[in-house]
Formats: sequence, structure tokens, C-alpha cells
Amino acid sequence: MIEIFEYEFMQRALIAGVIISIISTIAGSFVVLKRYSLLADTLAHVSLVGVALAILLESSPVYMAIITSVVASWLIEYLRSYHKIYSDSILAIFLSGSLALSVIIVSVANEFNSSLFSYLFGSILAVSSDDLVLISVVGIFVLALFVIFFRSFFFMAFDEDAAQTSGVPVQWLNFLLVTLVAVIIALSIRVVGTLLIGALMVIPVISALRFKKGFFNTVVIALFISLTSVVSGLIISYHYSIPSGATIVTVVLGMFIASMLLNRRG
Amino acid sequence: MIDLQNDDKNCPIFPVISVTNLNISLGSETVLKDITFEINKGDYCAVIGPNGGGKTTLMRAVLGLQKFDSGSIALFGKKLSSFKEWRKIGYVPQRASHVDSEFPATVREVVCMGRSSGYSLFWRKKSEDEEAVENAMQIMEVKNLENRRIGELSGGQRQRAMIARALVSHPEVLVLDEPNTGVDMAVQQKFYALLRELNQKHNITIILITHDIGVVADDIKSIFRVNQTLLANDAPHEVLSCDDMSELYGIHAHMVDGHRHD
Repeated sequence: MIEIFEYEFMQRALIAGVIISIISTIAGSFVVLKRYSLLADTLAHVSLVGVALAILLESSPVYMAIITSVVASWLIEYLRSYHKIYSDSILAIFLSGSLALSVIIVSVANEFNSSLFSYLFGSILAVSSDDLVLISVVGIFVLALFVIFFRSFFFMAFDEDAAQTSGVPVQWLNFLLVTLVAVIIALSIRVVGTLLIGALMVIPVISALRFKKGFFNTVVIALFISLTSVVSGLIISYHYSIPSGATIVTVVLGMFIASMLLNRRG
Repeated sequence: MIDLQNDDKNCPIFPVISVTNLNISLGSETVLKDITFEINKGDYCAVIGPNGGGKTTLMRAVLGLQKFDSGSIALFGKKLSSFKEWRKIGYVPQRASHVDSEFPATVREVVCMGRSSGYSLFWRKKSEDEEAVENAMQIMEVKNLENRRIGELSGGQRQRAMIARALVSHPEVLVLDEPNTGVDMAVQQKFYALLRELNQKHNITIILITHDIGVVADDIKSIFRVNQTLLANDAPHEVLSCDDMSELYGIHAHMVDGHRHD
């Protein structure tokens, strides 16, 4: 079991997976409590536009994915805050629109190939040394921002009006939160894939909520579920040659069912 | 032991909230028209009026949560747009007692929120924060519930936790929007006794948006009757007449508990 981590590509996948697991779970905690779960899925589809553009222009998929998903996250937050359009409607527009756009771009590039498949569902072979450096540096920066603004994000998720009247810069922090979610999703496309990162962000938190604990303990339980799923998902992916995102999300779904069974009374 | 660092009763009376010629419309509909009033430090006021009459909109505008068309609002002598000392104001919104029962927060975590901002975004837990949280929980009698989830509590307990959160930053003004919705009479009486203590002992200015005017009439120093305009701003015994209440609510009112009949 341990020897598989002697391979360098597995070490890279594991380190990247652990970093993504930690930051996506913390982001997911706020996103779920703000009733904004679909944001992750939407931005994941938007990041696919970045991947498609990168294939067309032969540039770096991760950087292009970061740019497109961050710009889309700002647009979504702007429309939600200033134009008072229902958030789920905005997300539906971006989700379908970006999928359509990426299919067109990929068709133009004539590259509907296996490399695109790995961006959709994740691949343990896909994490290069450069990717790992990017995921580590940006991931630690994102984590630091979450630590700094943890209490403000929590207050905003609980009661945005009360947070604002306590001096929390709510509008600014809402933009920051969607930006961080966009960055995390773009970083995740190598290991988990664009179509499955939404599940990794949301399901561990939903599972942890079943234990009916306070916020801090809920985040700790969600981190445990997410990390266990990522590590075991990567091992399964290696042994059975299945896309890593798919195995990770399948394990996390199993954890969700287990947490439902463990907390049946609720 | 109980200390809100706010017991300076000898300070001169000055307006903590000044509203001048305020007009608010939502879409094409005028919600509030030409509202002018002042609330002084140490006041205990009630804002009453029919549903949809603009009570909540008025207070949301004062708290910077609602845009307004014209007029001006000043808090502690500073224009709303340049007011920064939000820790001086504690706000318990209308839906506070209807918290999502699944929300993962213990009473202690909720009370701590009130300490997480207003001072610095880069908040670190200090002993004075710990002390403020303990004090607020003791005053609102929720210390024994500190590890319970907020969603598990009764309406009255939840409401006390919410007020403890508002108190934890040592506010000088406490704004409560219909705090007693869904809370039984006995709990309400105890709750109003606590508000009286906060006002009289700790000199906290209290603004209560409410329908239960009869219950608190003895404590309240002034009543704002709001129905699109400010119909009057008077002492309770001058407002609580059948005619006045009929004018405000647009229905025939009948006073039954010893307040003045015209």
C-alpha cells in the first residue's frame, strides 16, 4: 500500500490532493451555509472554458482556468449584489452558457481528446512539478486568507445584516469569498477535474452537518471526511486505473451515506 | 462582575441618531416620506406601526442596510457614510429568533461573532474578548447553554443568545426588530425586565421595533408611530389613545388595559 507513494507522480498527486482537500473544505463550509452550493459547480464549468481556451491557444490550462473562473466569479457576485437577480438563476445562466462556450471552443480547436477528458474527471498522472508548485504556493496563500477572515466569513454566513452593522465589510468579503472559490476550483482541475470538484467542496460539509456540532467542530469533521476521501480515492484510482476525481467523489459519497446512517435520528 | 463599560450616566445628553427629511422608495412605491427625528443617549424608544408601514425599512436605513433617496442620517454626530464605529451599535434583526435549526453554531460561537469585527479584520482572541463574551452570556443568562447549538434552543433562549451577541461589543445603542415574535408571555416579561436593566443600569439606548406596545409602555420614554410618514414622536401616555392607534393602524382600536381613552 505504502509503496505506491514512492512514485513521484503519486507523491505530487497526494500533496496536491491534500492541499486542495483542505482549502476546498474550508471554502465549502461557508459556501454551503450561505446556500450557495451551486457556485462551485458553476465556476467549475466556467473553468472548463479556460481549459478549452488553453487547448486552442496552446497555453497553460490551470492559469487560463484561474483567469476565466475568477472573472466569472466577479460577474456573478456583481449581478447578485447590484442587480438583485436570484443567485440560482445567475448560476444556471453561467453554468449552461460556459459549457456551451467550451464545447464550441474545443470543436474549433478540433481537440476533443484524452487530455480534455483528464480535465473533466481528474487524473493522478496529470499533476506536473510546475502544477504542484502553483497549487502549493497559491493554496497556502488561499489558506492564509481563510484563517485571517474565518470569523468574518462565519458571521456573514450566519447573518449578513448583523455582520454588516458590526462593521464587517460584507460586500468586499463576498467578492473575496467567490474569488477564493474560483481559484480553488481552477487549482483542482488536475486532481479532481472540473465536473467533480463541486462535489468535493460541498459533500464533506453536508456530511459533517449531520453530526450536529458547532461550526469549528463541523469544519474539523468535514476536513477529516474530505482528506480520507482524497487519499483513499487516489489509492483506488492508482490500483484500478480509474480517473482520480471520479474515485474521490465516489468515496466521499460513501462517507456521506455513512454519516446519514450514523446520524439517523436527525 | 457584570460590566458593560458603559455606565457613564453623568455624560451630557446628545443625539445618538439624527434623521432629517428622510425619503425612501422601493421601485415606484414611496415607503417612507419626510421622516425627521432624533434619539438621545439613554433613550428607550419604541417604533410602532402596521406591517408594511416602513418601521423595519426606517431602522435598516439608519443602520446603513437600506439605501435612501434623499435626506440625511447621522450616528453619534457623524454622517452615516463616514460612520465607522459600528461596535457602538448592536443590532438584532427581525428574523434572529427564526435561525435555521440546522445552522452549525453553538451559543458561544454565536456570542463570539459580536467580537469578531469592528475592531480589526485581523482578529485574534484576547483575554478581554474572552471576558466580554463571558459577561454578555452572564447578563443574558445563556452561560449554561454555551455549548448547545443555537438551533436546538427555545425561541426565548435563542433571542437571549442573539442579544448577548449584540451586547458583546459593549454597544451604546441596541436596536431590536420585533424580538418577541413567537415567544410566550412569561418569557416576554422577563425579557423586557432585562431590557429595562440594560437601559437604566447600563445606560444603553434601546430602540425597539414592536407590536407589543402595551407590555413595555411603562418603560418606554418615547414612541415613534410610523406609517409611511412619522405620525408622531411622543411619550407613551400621549400616544396610546384609541384615536391615535386607529389612525396608525387604519382600523378601529379599543384600549383595554387602563391606558387613556379619548
